[in-house]
Amino acid sequence: MIQANHLLDAKGLACPMPIVKTKKAITDIDEGQVLEIQATDKGSKADLAAWASSVGHQYLGTVEEGDVLYHYIRKGSNEPEVEKAFEQTVPLEEIESREGLILDVREAAEYAFGHIKGAKSIPMGELESRLTELDKEQDVYVICRTGKRSDLAAQLLAKNGFTKVYNVLPGMSEWNGNITKEV
Amino acid sequence: MSNKVAIIAANGGMFDAYKVFNIATAAAASEKEVQIFFTFEGLNLIHKQAMHHLEMPAGKEHFAEGFVKANIPSIPQLVEMAQELGVKFIACQMTMDVMGLTKEDFVDGIEVGGAVTFLEFAKDAAPTLTF
Repeated sequence: MIQANHLLDAKGLACPMPIVKTKKAITDIDEGQVLEIQATDKGSKADLAAWASSVGHQYLGTVEEGDVLYHYIRKGSNEPEVEKAFEQTVPLEEIESREGLILDVREAAEYAFGHIKGAKSIPMGELESRLTELDKEQDVYVICRTGKRSDLAAQLLAKNGFTKVYNVLPGMSEWNGNITKEV
Repeated sequence: MSNKVAIIAANGGMFDAYKVFNIATAAAASEKEVQIFFTFEGLNLIHKQAMHHLEMPAGKEHFAEGFVKANIPSIPQLVEMAQELGVKFIACQMTMDVMGLTKEDFVDGIEVGGAVTFLEFAKDAAPTLTF
C-alpha cells in the first residue's frame, strides 16, 4: 500500500461530495503532507486532479482496486520560493551519466507514482533518523520535485559528515526521461 | 483569471436544483467566490417547504430510484453545504413581490436584492451560468 499521512473515506459518496470532503480534510493537514482519498465515484479521478491543480495542491495519482479508487494528493505550499543554499549542485540532465546513489527525498507516495530507476527513497522527514542507510564514501545525488527539499536534505547530509553530496536541479518536475512506478 | 462564479437559478424542478447546487458547491470547494441569484421558479430551490418537494420533469419520475441508488445527497443537504462553503444566495425582490413571499419564507442566511445586485457581482465573474 502507498504510504500517506492522512486518510479520507469518501466511499459511497456522489459528486460533488468527494471534492467537498477533500477540501475540508486538506485544510486540517500540514503543507507537504499527503492525503489519501478513498472513493467509489468514478468521476472523482478527473475531478480531484482538476481540483488539485486549480487550488494549488499536487495530484500524485490514483490506484484502482476493485470498485475503490485510491487518490493521493500532496498539500501545496503558499510559502514564497526560498533561495537554495547548498552549493554543490548537478543539473538534472547529467544525472544518468553519473556514478553514485540517487537519493529521492520526496514523500513515499510521490516516489511510488514515478521515480528515476534505481533511486533510493527516504522522505525528507525521515532522513535524519535513517542516515545509517547511506554510505559516506559514495556520491549522493539528492533529488526532490523542485529542488527545495533536496536543498535542505543536502545541507543535512553535509552537516552529518557527507562530503560527496550534490543537489540535483531543478528536480523531478522537469524530468522527461524514463520513470519507474511502484503502483 | 476570475475567482468568481455567478449563477442564475431561474427554474424550480429537482433536476434544476442539482445542476445549480452541484456546480455551486464544487466551485466553492475550489476556492471560488460564488453567488446564486434565485429568480422566478428558481426561488423554490431555497424555499423552506418547497425545497423538500421539488418535482422531477414529467415522465422522468422513475429516476427517483437512481438518485437513491447512487447515494445522491438531498437538496436541503446540498443547500446547507453550499452555505457552509460560503456560497451566497440572493433572492430576487421583484419575484418575491409578485408571489407574495417574504425573506422568512426562505432558508436562513440569504440576501434579498434586485437584478443590479447580481449584475454588480457578475460583471467580472467567469463563468456566469444560467439554469
